[in-house]
Amino acid sequence: MSAGAVDVTYRGVFQKNLAGVITKELVKAARREDKFGGTVARYGDSPERNGIPAKQFAVIASDMASLQVEMTKYEPDNVVVVAVMDDTLAKGIESWAWYGVRPINLNLAPGGTLLVISRQDPAALLKWIPRRPQPWTLAILPGEPSFGGLWVYNDDGTDYRTMGAIARVTDGLVSLESLIAQAAGTRDGGKREQQLREGYEAVQLHQVAAGEGAEDTYVPVQMPDWTQMREGLVVPAVEVGRTNELFMKYTTRTARPLIKFDACVKCQICYTVCPDECFIPTPEGHYDVNYDHCCGCGICAQSCPVSGCIEMVNEAVFDGNEPLHGVYERDPAAYEELRAEKLAKAGGPVPHYGIY
Amino acid sequence: MTAPEMTIPDLEINRRLTILPMQEFYTSGHRTCQGCESALVMRYMAKVAGPRTLVTGTTGCMYVANTSYNSTPWALPWAHTQLGSAGSSAVGTAAALKALMRKGKIPDERINVIAFCSDGGGGDMGLATLSAALQDTRYNLLILLYDNESYANTDIQASGMTPWGAVTAFTPSGSQMRITHHRWKKNVPALLMAGHPTGRYFANASSGFGMDLMEKVRTALDVGGPTFVQTHDPCPKGWDFDPRMSHELAILAVECGITVLWDCLEGELRYQGLTRQQVDGAVKRRPVADYLRRQGRFAHFADDDIDFFQARIDEMWEDWILPGVLRIKQTPFGPRPESGRSVPEPTEGGNHG
Repeated sequence: MSAGAVDVTYRGVFQKNLAGVITKELVKAARREDKFGGTVARYGDSPERNGIPAKQFAVIASDMASLQVEMTKYEPDNVVVVAVMDDTLAKGIESWAWYGVRPINLNLAPGGTLLVISRQDPAALLKWIPRRPQPWTLAILPGEPSFGGLWVYNDDGTDYRTMGAIARVTDGLVSLESLIAQAAGTRDGGKREQQLREGYEAVQLHQVAAGEGAEDTYVPVQMPDWTQMREGLVVPAVEVGRTNELFMKYTTRTARPLIKFDACVKCQICYTVCPDECFIPTPEGHYDVNYDHCCGCGICAQSCPVSGCIEMVNEAVFDGNEPLHGVYERDPAAYEELRAEKLAKAGGPVPHYGIY
Repeated sequence: MTAPEMTIPDLEINRRLTILPMQEFYTSGHRTCQGCESALVMRYMAKVAGPRTLVTGTTGCMYVANTSYNSTPWALPWAHTQLGSAGSSAVGTAAALKALMRKGKIPDERINVIAFCSDGGGGDMGLATLSAALQDTRYNLLILLYDNESYANTDIQASGMTPWGAVTAFTPSGSQMRITHHRWKKNVPALLMAGHPTGRYFANASSGFGMDLMEKVRTALDVGGPTFVQTHDPCPKGWDFDPRMSHELAILAVECGITVLWDCLEGELRYQGLTRQQVDGAVKRRPVADYLRRQGRFAHFADDDIDFFQARIDEMWEDWILPGVLRIKQTPFGPRPESGRSVPEPTEGGNHG
């Protein structure tokens, strides 16, 4: 009588189909071992928004009763693996439904595994991932995040490599053999088998001791109860000049706009085209970026008429959301140095999300 | 609670809007997708309407993304209204304001009433209420239809304004049937303009041309009476493209002649910007393939599908007497002589209005 769940945490819409393939194929493979399974997407993530963190679960149980118990929950318990489809999600996730920013390993069961698709080393990831009272395992599957669209699937093998890695780290929840048997029945079965074995071999495991990792600053959001809400579902408007501070959008970001203020011609186009109103005018006519609300869509970089003025830089090389114009104001040379350093660390600007 | 000190932007009817208020009345912190152009339209609309504005919005992305979970990015008073009732809510709000002013309950001043709806809420199920609102000349109201070409909030179902052939949740492309969406996109601003001689202002705009869009919204608010503005906003989620291309794609739709920038003020049809240059022949239209090939929803198109699409767009530009607006290719008349007629306004309380 037991049930275990695989939590696939991914970038909304871009990786929706990827998460769907992983969870469904895991359940089908488990069925070959006479286990019971089901998949469930978290209700609060639907309808999904581009890039906003979302979750899908595969629940695998030894018997029907345990499965039914798990499937009635908003989020299944006993999450033995959290599979993270993009490493910048390790900084924390906020669903578009308001829950505040949650640590990536919040729902990981003691002794569970956090599987991250990343090119970074464990020490770099543990700078972001909060500590846990019990030991857990950090597994890294080397690779780039796979982004696709809602209608066009990015069939680059990430799905089956991840499943191979999950078979390795779950220790018996789903075996590699059943996954291969399941894949054999699909189109390109041979290629799938190879990808499964690749993922199984390539995944690197690191034991994380209790208390190791970043400081845990997570405070659960206190939802107002019915006595605190205003009558008739009235929500207070934002005061002019302020923003909606109850919903920050920064965990949506995979790349952030980095501005070369020296190259700026003060044309205001970035300010005009930003759908999230993130550009803050400065007295000398530059535009600082409000990284708390910036979701990294990249429209500013695409619309900027000056080549190399606004560049999208991988979010993984940044910590925190402090606006950067202050650094430039104090010392333009130091800012330029910081910019060059970040660009070098990120290996240049992000050209594209990989879809169209 | 006292209202914060606010200056009303000094924006009269003008064709050259060069100064924008820096204040945002629709601010950061909305739950939209990366690269959401509809959010940009809301921002432009709020910015140019200014603080003395009441907004109602029908169900759709711009409702769910902006007022869920006890928080909002709106700095303007905003109320939700049901999916098909943009027109009714606009008329009701405007009528209530008028009544309160007449009774001296609130100061008699200009308050903008804007009701927005989406292509599903306005172009499909709300069409009847839009129609009723545009007949009612007693009130000043603007209906803004933001057209992202699908029911985007509920994960992309086909609407009457989804372009021909596009993949949606209702119209997938399969091995047997490549194209399953067979309806050509309906032209709602022209439909409303043609059928509502009492509407004072109708416009078609694009999120890619923000200044033009804001001029149109401002013009609509300034002329008063029932007015209608539609905007064309790329949706990176449903159209399946890289969010950073959102703005470019909106511009590309105009360059290809798919979106036509026009407005009609009191019966005078005008084209704007790039569209006017295309109408004059100064700028050539780009092939529609440039636009279609950049979106995942058209990824299944074969070459002859693109040819069909191009032919439809060409017909719209080359054969219609009003290019891109109304499908009238021939009439029994030559051009009408200028009559110089002016229709008197109904007097207050008159029952012929």
